[in-house]
Amino acid sequence: MVSEIWTEKYRPSKFNELVGQDNIIKRVEALTASMNIPHLLFAGPAGTGKSTLALIVVKELFKNNWRDNYLELNASDERGINVVREKVKNFARTKALGNVPFKVIFLDEADALTPEAQQALRRTMENYSATCRFVLSCNYSSKIIDPIQSRCAMFRFKLLEKKDIERIIRRISETENLTIPLESIEILYEGSEGDCRRCINILQSTASVSPSITPELISTIISSAKPKDIKVVLDYAIAGDFQRAREKLLDVMLKESISGQDVIKAVQKEIWNLPIEPEIKVKLTEKTGEAEFRIVEGSDPFIQLQALLASFVLAGLGK
Amino acid sequence: MTWTEKYRPKKFEDIKGQDLAVDKIKSFAKYFGTGKKALILHGPPGTGKTTLAFVIAHETNSEIFELNASDIRNKIKLHDVLRPVMEQQSLSKKGKIILVDEVDGISGYYDKGGVQELVRLIELTSYPVIITANDVWHKKLSPLRKKSELVQLKEVSYNIIKDVMINILRKEGQFIDQSTLTRVAIKAKGDIRAAVNDLQTLSQMGEPSLAVLEERDKETDIFNALRIIFKGKPTNETLKVFDSVKMSIDEILLWMEENIPAEYQGEELARAYDLLSKADVFKGRIYKQQYWRFLVYENIFLSYGISSAKKTPKTGFTSYKKPTRILKIWLNNQRTAKKKSISQKYAKYVHVGTKRAMHDFPIIKQIINSNLSIQKELKLTDEEIEYVRN
Repeated sequence: MVSEIWTEKYRPSKFNELVGQDNIIKRVEALTASMNIPHLLFAGPAGTGKSTLALIVVKELFKNNWRDNYLELNASDERGINVVREKVKNFARTKALGNVPFKVIFLDEADALTPEAQQALRRTMENYSATCRFVLSCNYSSKIIDPIQSRCAMFRFKLLEKKDIERIIRRISETENLTIPLESIEILYEGSEGDCRRCINILQSTASVSPSITPELISTIISSAKPKDIKVVLDYAIAGDFQRAREKLLDVMLKESISGQDVIKAVQKEIWNLPIEPEIKVKLTEKTGEAEFRIVEGSDPFIQLQALLASFVLAGLGK
Repeated sequence: MTWTEKYRPKKFEDIKGQDLAVDKIKSFAKYFGTGKKALILHGPPGTGKTTLAFVIAHETNSEIFELNASDIRNKIKLHDVLRPVMEQQSLSKKGKIILVDEVDGISGYYDKGGVQELVRLIELTSYPVIITANDVWHKKLSPLRKKSELVQLKEVSYNIIKDVMINILRKEGQFIDQSTLTRVAIKAKGDIRAAVNDLQTLSQMGEPSLAVLEERDKETDIFNALRIIFKGKPTNETLKVFDSVKMSIDEILLWMEENIPAEYQGEELARAYDLLSKADVFKGRIYKQQYWRFLVYENIFLSYGISSAKKTPKTGFTSYKKPTRILKIWLNNQRTAKKKSISQKYAKYVHVGTKRAMHDFPIIKQIINSNLSIQKELKLTDEEIEYVRN
């Protein structure tokens, strides 16, 4: 059955259908053809084809048996390394079906694992190396510990370029009978920031309203998915009403379940629209950067954001 | 015999300063069989919880069967010991009262299943069960709360404590001057047992001097700690302010977070939150590196640090609030449970992480909503489809 979800429907299923990662494709295709792959590490931004390539590899290796020989785990969803280990163990215990001597485990977003969990994963990779190959994906390879990196063949995916995105959009539009002017493609590309999955999702979401994909319609769809109320939060803070600012902040974060990192992104952009001195804008940007750094490092986002809001209160006083 | 035992009240009229509680327990005994079968007496130490249980037994001419913290109270033990007591007739045809003393001392670990078993036994019992606890609001006691009437005993006022002490001295034929008595009474902070113990110590020393009585390490409650930090000047004592607060540092951090804006404005506010955020950074480092010495820094920033954020001490009364963030998050999670379950199904189906699906939910929702066959593909439940529609 063909999926109605376009990211699935138009997901490439052969090497030559993949767009934008030509160098990687050639090398991975060659490895796959030898019927013996090493552990693989796919590093790169979201929506550039990492999961797709992993799927193509297993389909090529196992043909119709691929579902029996393939396990997909998402490290940011599986709560601990123990879950991963348990699932890996159960999966690896039985022999691979068909004529390939190993099974494949795809561990998506492996950089979400703590360094300790990665140490444990490294042992797991060793213990099951006879029966399993691991394909890891991550956004930042620097977040993968060296011992794992050294056990894998690494491939760096790059952001899709405008021409790649355009090719994909054109192909979908033809099949789905959409009318789409060039400006719309421009806006789709900018709105998706080189993330192909996001781009296709925005396209399908827009097409569900009307088959005529106008730039205005796309903009509406994109902005409906953005945190709107951050400006309100900052306005309260600049006006000196800290209590309401933080109430609103918690409200926004919870009701629209926006992560601390997304809030910070919006705050950083919003600074430039505030009625404050240039010097203070720079100071606030520095504070924002520090807060973002801390959140990425694992601090409590709400506490860091509150501290940041308190400096916006000061900025409102001209300090 | 210690004075606390010797002068422990035997009758209702001997109990001072707890009139409301006395009335409640009387009517509980009188109407037993019509309402809840257990009663929890709760309140600070030394306010008369255990005493009250013994008095009600005495006044109703009942035997008392007591189980306290020194007994092991796990599931099997409770079952084996209490079950026969609850079912069998008292030998002397007297009534019977079952006293489970200091129930907050039931350990979640060593007394596994203890609280649950107690709840089950309450359902079975044909005799009144009286339970005492300091902190009835502890979450492990929540199933017990539902099965029981709650009676609160308050800290006893120092006047009443003083009267009690004078009464005892009279019976003992001893004399201690008024001002010393007043100080002992105040120092006891509502704990009659502590006061009577101090009194006995003093009377045995010939020349009574309060100096010999060490201040008890009484639990400073979090409100007190907040007051010390926010109102007072930072001193080396401020560093120790959390030592006697019976809360985890994580919980304390939430209390600080909630209450900073109640006290500080402008620059003070920014400085205080800056320090809070640094405490939080160290908290993160502790978890990440499992290096517990960082706790020192977290503690210093939270106490002395936030206290130092102001230029001059604060006056006046501030009403501090309980942290609400965790509750709000929980409530919200209840509300967004559907969103999460839909995201999970979607994520699994299209090979992404649930977090990313949640992040893009507005767009994904629009796609799902517009297409019935996608809803079928994802095997959404009726409730989930309903959620997508709205």
